[in-house]
Amino acid sequence: MKALKIIPENCTGCMRCELACSYEQTGTFQPSKAVIRVSAFESHTSYSPYTCPQCAEAWCMTACPVEAIVISPAGAKDVVNDICVGCKLCTIACPYGTIFYDADLHKAFKCDLCGGQPACVSACPRDAIFYEEVQVTDWVGPFAAERAQAPGGPLAVGVN
Amino acid sequence: MAIKHVIIGGGTAGWNAITTIREIDGGNSEIILVSDENPYSRMVLPYYLSREIGESHVFTASETRLGQLKVETRLGRRAVSLDPNANKVVLDDDEEIQYDNLLIATGSSPVRAPIPGADAPGVHSFWTLDQARQLAAELQPGTRVAMIGAGFISFTILDSLVQRGADLKIFEIAPRILPRMVDDTGAGIVAKWLADKGVQVQAGAEVTSIEESGGAKVLKFKGGPDVEADVVIMATGIKTNLEWLEGSGVEMNAGILVNDFLRSSESNIYAAGDVAEGLDCVTGEKAIHAIEPTAMQHGRVAGANMAGVETVYSGSLLMNIVGVLGLEIASFGSWDDPEAEVIEAVQPDRPAYRKLLFRGDRLTGAIILGSEGDVWTTNDVGILKGLVHSGNELSAWKEQLRKNPFDVKRAFLATGAAAALLPKTLLGRPSVPERDIAVSS
Repeated sequence: MKALKIIPENCTGCMRCELACSYEQTGTFQPSKAVIRVSAFESHTSYSPYTCPQCAEAWCMTACPVEAIVISPAGAKDVVNDICVGCKLCTIACPYGTIFYDADLHKAFKCDLCGGQPACVSACPRDAIFYEEVQVTDWVGPFAAERAQAPGGPLAVGVN
Repeated sequence: MAIKHVIIGGGTAGWNAITTIREIDGGNSEIILVSDENPYSRMVLPYYLSREIGESHVFTASETRLGQLKVETRLGRRAVSLDPNANKVVLDDDEEIQYDNLLIATGSSPVRAPIPGADAPGVHSFWTLDQARQLAAELQPGTRVAMIGAGFISFTILDSLVQRGADLKIFEIAPRILPRMVDDTGAGIVAKWLADKGVQVQAGAEVTSIEESGGAKVLKFKGGPDVEADVVIMATGIKTNLEWLEGSGVEMNAGILVNDFLRSSESNIYAAGDVAEGLDCVTGEKAIHAIEPTAMQHGRVAGANMAGVETVYSGSLLMNIVGVLGLEIASFGSWDDPEAEVIEAVQPDRPAYRKLLFRGDRLTGAIILGSEGDVWTTNDVGILKGLVHSGNELSAWKEQLRKNPFDVKRAFLATGAAAALLPKTLLGRPSVPERDIAVSS
């Protein structure tokens, strides 16, 4: 299956993925509604996006009490707004922290791979996000661990 | 001959067992569902009460769908006794059903405070669909509603009652609200939030009786003035439905004791959901977790084992989430562990609270409160769940969290929580949406 691959080393923190994602998902530029979210490391000099790994067993989907989460043709776990009641169970069932509650719509929302053409991928100017046939893995962990300990990172000795 | 599975209880646990068996065997077994009610999701009843959804939305399976899944039903029936030696259950209409595998998923029932007037007409519980129907029918804008109990169940319908225009007053006998979901600090933030929104919640209020006066209900209090109401709701706790198993020989403590396969002391009798006392993945002890996610997971793991796919359950994680008037409240794992090392912080200017509980370098419990519209809240709810679920050692990040307990997302990312979580699956097989489960005829 095609999946989002993230290469954090290439991320410059421009946040275009968040803007493009929110625009595709909601029709407005509001990173708070983005489902790919960028974290900063090393006193805001290193960045990485992070999003839903579309896990095969789909904690969100099995948790949903009204079957509002389906598998889209692109293979994404997708929330059907008309069915979702906004009970938030999926937001605590998912251990990845990648399905959110929209306080305006009273619905859950998550990455649906934009129907197979992820907006974050085309928006990224620096080859940090790819959409390709790949085994999903923890793209961000090793990078985040290393940058956290680098000078200026939150775990660096003698800073903060 | 096809193996015969008998499922007692059509709630979340029973329904998930059925769908899991069918996911695995494609219809190659006999399933009989015995359920007092048609299968529906209790979790969504608050949205039915608020009229955001219609009644058809609450059902998890119609009789037609059950038929498609080759499930024979005994709806409107209850099991009254069990004979494990004869592999037989007896129903309330005296029917005897033989089984190869039995799943006990009989759930819980609401209990009312033992006070005079508690069972009078106009006093409601909110647990079943039928009770939701009765309460929904009595609400009009301006209806004076007195809700006794300020715990999780009460708070799941608080928004619905406000949306329906009820004039709501809540009374809790304990010294503070949400005693089984958050700590004192959390409860204080919730109480202030509700007071600011004009919802009256009184803790330490002991109702001594409910009387009738001129068509209205009058709540009498120990050491306090009377309160008049049109409708009284008792949200005063639940008890597990185990009475029918008395004398069966199935080993029970507070619930039916189950092993890592959800099997009881009888190898072909499984238990799931509120009635099962199974492994807690944080403490390693056995516990009843009467919550929807545990019922779902128990149902799926029991279903897989019943269908012959040996599946070890790694235990359930206690967790609750509820929103009241835009405030998100969630707790995970051993959030009230008195022996844990605690790191916590409250934002002084807005309702945002994080409490992190550690055993060694592992996050074993957490409480989070924050506005639903706050990006930080929406980010951290799932992240905290993931950190507890992963069981990762936070090592050096623990010191960073001591400086800033709100920095949980970076701790999650940098400790490789995602890598730890990817192999931690429930059944180790891709899930199939229920509507896509195909059964051969």
